[in-house]
Amino acid sequence: MYRYELGIVDTRNIIKTLKEDFNYDFKNYALTFFKRRVENIIRLYNLKDTEGFLRKLKSDREFIEIFLKEICIESTEMFRDPSMWRVLREELLPKLLANTSSFKIWFPEVSSGEELFSLNILLKQLHFLDKVRIIASSISTKKIADIKKGKFLARKVEVNDANYKRIFSQGELSDYYKVDGDFGYWDADLVKDVEFKVDKISFDDYPKGVKFIIFRNHMIYFNQILQERCMKMLNNSMVPGGHLIIGNNEKIDYWNSDKDYVLVNAGESIYKKKLT
Amino acid sequence: MYKAVVIGGSAGSFQVITKILHSLPKNFPVPVLLSLHRLKHVRSGFVEALSIKSSIPIIEPFDKDTVKAGIGYLAPSNYHMYIELNKKIALSTEEPVNHSRPSIDLTFETAAQAYRDKLIGIILSGANRDGAYGLKKVKQLGGTAIVQDPNECQVKTMTEASLKMTQVDHIFTTQQIIRFLLNIK
Repeated sequence: MYRYELGIVDTRNIIKTLKEDFNYDFKNYALTFFKRRVENIIRLYNLKDTEGFLRKLKSDREFIEIFLKEICIESTEMFRDPSMWRVLREELLPKLLANTSSFKIWFPEVSSGEELFSLNILLKQLHFLDKVRIIASSISTKKIADIKKGKFLARKVEVNDANYKRIFSQGELSDYYKVDGDFGYWDADLVKDVEFKVDKISFDDYPKGVKFIIFRNHMIYFNQILQERCMKMLNNSMVPGGHLIIGNNEKIDYWNSDKDYVLVNAGESIYKKKLT
Repeated sequence: MYKAVVIGGSAGSFQVITKILHSLPKNFPVPVLLSLHRLKHVRSGFVEALSIKSSIPIIEPFDKDTVKAGIGYLAPSNYHMYIELNKKIALSTEEPVNHSRPSIDLTFETAAQAYRDKLIGIILSGANRDGAYGLKKVKQLGGTAIVQDPNECQVKTMTEASLKMTQVDHIFTTQQIIRFLLNIK
């Protein structure tokens, strides 16, 4: 099995070009991850090596969008970690949404949309969908376009369906999608009121007054510098008393922001921003 | 001279791993990185099961944890586990490799890049080919490649695929693996 391997100098050159020519700053992405991702893209699009990759990037205007789509990791599945979704369904959301008329939810990187569709199916069943305002950001316009169409990879169906059954005793996940060849399509009505935002990695344009942030397994692709900057942005975005959910094996205590938060559910990595 | 041990296995490897972890001294001089195939929707239980008989602490690391000597790091369910060049753990939810997440190949490959000739890579009993490429990278970058004797394995696919791809340093029984690990400095 031959695999092209990116050297450190190559990686730096690619990061430099992305910054100088396209104003995307990947300098503070986790190195192993970024390198591996670019290697995958080089293989997937038959670009042979770093030279080939850079040539493609500079000669084909569309390719930056393809790159952004590929660098942005697919969410693994619907209802990843069913126990977390059970907590949302049975405890947290009913409590938080009972006496409120405005509830702003934000996905800082919506990726392939599984977390968004999972949440909206859950909200719909709880009859809360009209009580929330959802903002979904992504660096990839292509991913956002796919989500609006409800498009997903049909090979995920089996895992998705199994997870659904671990949470809901009634109905089937297939009540919400149709499969056509290699792709499945969610009921696009589920996301018709979602506000989508294309976001560069700069973190200077974020929604304010957010009460609920779902950002699971994405900061793992950043180094600690970017994690810290990102965490500050999340913190500025969120109102006191708001909730932040990150991935099971992520922590926020590396960059001191833990003093602003209470870990309300350790098993599911649910944090609550302190009131003062 | 060694800085880390990385172990991969799937079906039939649990008892072998348990024996190895039980036999290590409490102050084992290097970290032990464990990339084992496991059920992805069962998050808890595995680390506890491994810990029962292990003489070193076994943890499922958080992203960016620093790898330390004398501790076993078990790749968490439904995550890949990488070792960064600065010896920190990086977790990933990228697509499965060889139908596996965690993928043994990915842990081995990144550990090989981080530890080069200071790494021992061990492939145990298992039911698919994941790990074979990773062990090859360990060897290529100067590390020591060990495969469990296929005659002793409950399922031979993983060890045989590894042996086919790499001229390994040792084909060892469980007892020999333990003896080897007890002698490393």
